[in-house]
Amino acid sequence: MDSTSPLPTEQRPRTGLQSFFKDARHFQIFYLGGFLIFGLLALDWQVNLAGYLVLLGTGLGVQAIGIKLTGKSWNSLKSALITCLGLCLLLKANSLWTLSFTAAVAIGSKFLIRSKGKHIFNPANFGIILAILLTGDAWVSPGQWGNHIILLFMMGAAGLIVLLKVGRLDTSLSFLLSFGALLFCEQILYKGWPLDHFFHTLTSGTLLLFTFFMITDPVTTPNAPKARIIWGIAVGTLTYILTLWFYVFDAPIWALIIISPLTVWLDRHFPYQRFQWLTSSPKLQHT
Amino acid sequence: MMRKSVLIALFILAHAIQTFAFCGFYVAKADAKLFNKSSQVIIARDGTQVAITMSSDFEGDVKDFAMVVPVPVVLRKNQIRIAKQSIFDKLDAYSGPRLVEYHDPNPCTPVRMFDMEVAEDFAAAPTTTNSPRFEEKEKKTVTILESYTVGEYDILILSATESKGLESWLIENGYKIPRGASEVLDPYIKSQMNFFVVKVNLENFKKQGFDKLRPIQMSFHSERFMLPIRLGMANANGDQDLIVYSFSRKGRVEATNYRTLEIPTNQEIPLSVQAKFGEFYKALYDKAWKAAGHNAVHVEYAWDLSSKNFVKCDPCPTQPPSYADLREAGVFWATQGNNGRWGGSDYDGDIFMTRLHARYNRQTFPQDLLFQETPNQANFQGRYVMRHPAQGDLTCDQGQNYLQQLHDRRVREVSNLNQLTGWAIASYNGYIEEYDHLMKNDNQPYLGPIPKKKGKGWVLPFGTGGPQFPNWMIWLLPALFTSFSLGLGYYWYRRKRMLHLS
Repeated sequence: MDSTSPLPTEQRPRTGLQSFFKDARHFQIFYLGGFLIFGLLALDWQVNLAGYLVLLGTGLGVQAIGIKLTGKSWNSLKSALITCLGLCLLLKANSLWTLSFTAAVAIGSKFLIRSKGKHIFNPANFGIILAILLTGDAWVSPGQWGNHIILLFMMGAAGLIVLLKVGRLDTSLSFLLSFGALLFCEQILYKGWPLDHFFHTLTSGTLLLFTFFMITDPVTTPNAPKARIIWGIAVGTLTYILTLWFYVFDAPIWALIIISPLTVWLDRHFPYQRFQWLTSSPKLQHT
Repeated sequence: MMRKSVLIALFILAHAIQTFAFCGFYVAKADAKLFNKSSQVIIARDGTQVAITMSSDFEGDVKDFAMVVPVPVVLRKNQIRIAKQSIFDKLDAYSGPRLVEYHDPNPCTPVRMFDMEVAEDFAAAPTTTNSPRFEEKEKKTVTILESYTVGEYDILILSATESKGLESWLIENGYKIPRGASEVLDPYIKSQMNFFVVKVNLENFKKQGFDKLRPIQMSFHSERFMLPIRLGMANANGDQDLIVYSFSRKGRVEATNYRTLEIPTNQEIPLSVQAKFGEFYKALYDKAWKAAGHNAVHVEYAWDLSSKNFVKCDPCPTQPPSYADLREAGVFWATQGNNGRWGGSDYDGDIFMTRLHARYNRQTFPQDLLFQETPNQANFQGRYVMRHPAQGDLTCDQGQNYLQQLHDRRVREVSNLNQLTGWAIASYNGYIEEYDHLMKNDNQPYLGPIPKKKGKGWVLPFGTGGPQFPNWMIWLLPALFTSFSLGLGYYWYRRKRMLHLS
């Protein structure tokens, strides 16, 4: 068990179920897996079973090698599983080699590109960008979820639970609100598109998945709450600029990769305790 | 070691998946003309260079014809040309959904191979927009950037600073644009778009001697890969069908702001469908569109037409596009070449064709269609299969088995028909039992009512053409997610408070 746990000692030992619920990653795995099944069953996604197996196999394999070499906890396999599930949900490619490459690069970046004990890039994001740029064989289908308010409820509720656990709701909200506000000003106030034009963009499943499950990665976001809000607004603003002015259809992932290195700088200017998995609520440590 | 062997197994599995093979003989096709109010557009795009060809199915008096299209650039005369209507017919015939047939071999006699038959044919259809004649009178909010005549069309490129001004300019100049058009025009004006405004030059039209208006092709550079569909919604009520033939270099084109789904394909259907294949496909599209929540774009065809790919279609309903066809369609990067081998083309270049079908209306398509080119090279076709039963003596044991299988297959075909189109299938009992009398010993198979697969009536905002499962299951997942999450959130909130208090 985690020695940094703030819980009073008389509450231990926990039952198996309690310690299972304690790790937010279990929820992330459950939800991302659920989204994948939902997409395949209800949204008619192409079933690419071999692709999913390759992503999971390579990702977990590379993580295992990394664990062996660095002596990290085997618990970190869960993080790798989350990354791989994220890739299953977002990335498409003709060749299985491309998928394998992506998973390897994504997980590899966690071990290789680091600063002050944190990896800099969101692994799934880094993998996707590199696969698109280098292989020319990979793509993201931003339209695959469709656009619907139900998606907002579903992903929002699922995201909420994970974010309450890891304390990253501020990142999601600052991103979504800043992007939404800019979009609203341009589309509704300035250009005069009707309201459904605006909501169509904001209820895109891909955008919501990104909002609640990708930019909220507790390790690659800044440590201090204030810094995270600045960071979220920066990603939101850049996403808006790329979408509306440069017609980049998958703007959020590009915005995230560009803003990610900013974390290092923000962490220096806003010192705060680093995030650790396996604590029920990081904020409790500081109260 | 263990992990290694798992990985190796994964890769072997990976290589074992194949793209499914198309086969069978082409019998009939369903084409764009089936759908009323349908427009057809060809988009050839490479990098930021794009050529858009719009076909007009305008039926009324040509002097009433008018078209207003928002364009991102100022189009000069040399960027506009008139294309042949026949290119749309060719592409439509080539890429439309198709019915193919097989003949079962008689299991009691040596093999007789497939025969080919050809059946009916339809043709293609396109865009309508607004209305008539203009005098070149300028209002201060509207600027005429270009004015020229190409073929039978008088063309203006307008820029406007204010939508009311543009609306009244168009009305004063005799364009019958619909009420409330200014609201629709406004966002385009503010997006710095210009307007490509067309009416028919009657003199030239008479001189040409054609009885129909020909398609207009415009070529320009733009970062935006989109089709403005919203303007067309202003003057049309109800649903409009749009067929997009897109040509790209790398792979499939898909919508980025709507779901892009493949139309259900490769299903066995009863023989009688041949006589009404057009109706069948129309019903199938209708059902798929409804199941997808009325706001998805369907892929009807996707094929690698690159000169290096020698299989340009399988089966081919018509000749695949030639060099001349591709140039006519605006595929500017195709170069003339000669790949003498069998199946070779008379052009060089990487070309991928995608046929997309959208049915849109104001409610379900709040945004213009935005597209992206993906590296997805998977071929796809809307293909429906009918199988003719074996002929001759079927008294041998294998023949008897075959009759049983035939019966079972026909049950499946009929059930497929119901699932694909939603048609009633009660009248198909005779079809299923047609050959049962040839069975000896009266080992009659199940002759009860046809098991009717449960259609999904519909489902949330989303739909499915995929595996059958009851509606409640689709509700279950989101409901489970939401309630579970909220419950846990509350639990944690309480616990955290209690910890604080303790």
